[in-house]
Amino acid sequence: MDDLDKLKNSWKKSTDNYPKFSAKEIYAMLHKRSSSIVKWILVISITEFTLWLVISFLLSDSSQMKRINSLHLNYITTPLEIINYLIILYFMFIFYTNYRRIKVTDNAKRLMQSILKTRKAVTTYIITVIVYNFISMMLLFVLFFMYDPNIIGAEQKFEANGNLGWFYVLYILLALLATGVILLLFWLFYKLIYGLLLKRLNRNYNELKKLDF
Amino acid sequence: MNSELEQSFVQQIEENQNLIHKICRLYTNSEDAHKDLFQEITIQLWKAYPKFRGDSKFTTWAYRVGLNTAITLYRKKSRTVKTTEFDNQLHKINQEEYNYEEEEHIKLLYQAVHQLNDIDKALVFMYLEDKDYGEIAETLGITEVNARVKMNRIKGKLKKILNP
Repeated sequence: MDDLDKLKNSWKKSTDNYPKFSAKEIYAMLHKRSSSIVKWILVISITEFTLWLVISFLLSDSSQMKRINSLHLNYITTPLEIINYLIILYFMFIFYTNYRRIKVTDNAKRLMQSILKTRKAVTTYIITVIVYNFISMMLLFVLFFMYDPNIIGAEQKFEANGNLGWFYVLYILLALLATGVILLLFWLFYKLIYGLLLKRLNRNYNELKKLDF
Repeated sequence: MNSELEQSFVQQIEENQNLIHKICRLYTNSEDAHKDLFQEITIQLWKAYPKFRGDSKFTTWAYRVGLNTAITLYRKKSRTVKTTEFDNQLHKINQEEYNYEEEEHIKLLYQAVHQLNDIDKALVFMYLEDKDYGEIAETLGITEVNARVKMNRIKGKLKKILNP
């Protein structure tokens, strides 16, 4: 008899040793809050969508935006805004359909896959938003260069002093620094929250994947 | 909330609660964590219950939800203090067949199983519950052949832990 079979014998005999919860206690449990990882993913993802919606609303009212509007670049900013909302709507739809597919009655591997897929939709969304913002920021930087009287004025001053090269370097450095700081913050956010939240799930999923060689 | 549904559910859980306790026993090692996981499994079962149509046995259905909760959904409490007292109480052997040596060996076996990873524990759990390889494979989403291979590896792993 191997070790596991010995354990099996004892396992079967020890059924009387378990605690017994009464119907009342079980009933109370049903009304307790779940701490399931799926619930956390849902809460965090909705927060992310809301956060970006709020940010884009706030941005559209900012002084920067007013400055852009004064340049009469609506033919560029309006399509950009529409694209922004389309991205949000599209990913919300994908996220929702994936979320609905998470079924605790699936087999373990499929359940893990559907959770990871749901989470991936939000990650892809965030990456898309970052890329989108990066591109539109660069586009606006170029437009400022071409049309903004303040920048053109500053450019001319630098040019008069023979420092035009410095002006470009400074401008690009500042733009890169701002983008770098934002990306770093995102990276930290993802590493911390999702690293902790999905560590065990990823580990178990990889373990299952290893089994299907 | 449909109280009739709730009543029938609570009754099913009360009658079959050992099944959940057994899962908690392998995945937790303190009384607090045991209760916490038990509660989470119960909540997940309750959430899925309206869709339980009775075309499979309640226990078969509950095994799957219970294991999925333990492996995938459950977030362990960060601070769990291990209490050996609770552990000992669970693997007590009946007085009449008491055998010190055997009890010590069983205790070591449980400790070894606790050191396995979550997936290995799931396989051990279903093995202890006399599930066939077809059902083990189906529950985890792997092939039957791989379930067998894995089970043999786990036996080897346990031997290594017990005889380092």
